[in-house]
Amino acid sequence: MPNPISQPGSDQEWEALLQQLRKQPRAQPRPFFYARVQARLTAQLPPRGWWLPDWARRPAYVALLGMLILAVSGDGAALRPAMATNQPASSSPH
Amino acid sequence: MAYSLSLPLCFNSLPKSDLGVVVADAELVAQLQQGSEAAFRSLVEKYQQRVYSTAFSLLRSAEEAEDVAQEVFVEVYQTVAKFRSETTLSTWLYRLATSRALQHRRRATAKKRFAYFTSLLGLQNQVLHEPPDHAHPLALLEGEQQLHLLLSYIGRLPSQQQIAFTLRHEQELSYDEIAAVLDTTVSAVESLLFRARHTLRQHLHASFRHA
Repeated sequence: MPNPISQPGSDQEWEALLQQLRKQPRAQPRPFFYARVQARLTAQLPPRGWWLPDWARRPAYVALLGMLILAVSGDGAALRPAMATNQPASSSPH
Repeated sequence: MAYSLSLPLCFNSLPKSDLGVVVADAELVAQLQQGSEAAFRSLVEKYQQRVYSTAFSLLRSAEEAEDVAQEVFVEVYQTVAKFRSETTLSTWLYRLATSRALQHRRRATAKKRFAYFTSLLGLQNQVLHEPPDHAHPLALLEGEQQLHLLLSYIGRLPSQQQIAFTLRHEQELSYDEIAAVLDTTVSAVESLLFRARHTLRQHLHASFRHA
């Protein structure tokens, strides 16, 4: 008996081949697919304190930042008047 | 909490059973948008097979199809707030699955090319292996050579033709549904399918003439 799809030239043979393609068992995901999706979602959740940049979570950087803020904030202004009083005396053209 | 369910005009022509599916999906999406875990579980369980088998049809790799299917549902969870009912849920999922699958394939091709290039330069002392052949188990049985050949030729079609052909002949979607997934017209889908079938028949005919 000749195989109806031995030569996919005619329309009938082509249709038979497409029918065969349709009749393939559908590929299925492995069991517990939902659990794996959940695990992936959890893994992608941002950790606590995610709104802070990475460097801000290191104590050394935080201390450095604190010192920088102190230096810029004007707490060092107490030193400035002394310098200011010394300068005119030394630079006066007398 | 009440929510308004607006159905697009194109759904007016749907049969009652399909309309029921669309309404049920819209409810599912609305619940998911309110943060319902149970709704997400239902959505995954309802569509996992379709999403997975679409990815598998385009990639022919169980591992990659699993990865794509997981990515699709993670994206759904993360972006469902932006989902508007201009398309159906299934169209959105097919769209995500096909675009993610193509992304995976492009990445795999780029990796393969890079590995080949580095092997030529001798940067790594590894033997370059051909990727495993993930032919469908049925295709390996005696008398299934044509199906095996057909599947390999489908994999070589241009992306849009491959998606259209796979959605039509493996997922059995209507022309309207394929047009919605590809965001194109029905006549464009007809043209894609015509070209895909023509190319496949030519290749198959040539293969068997040579054999």
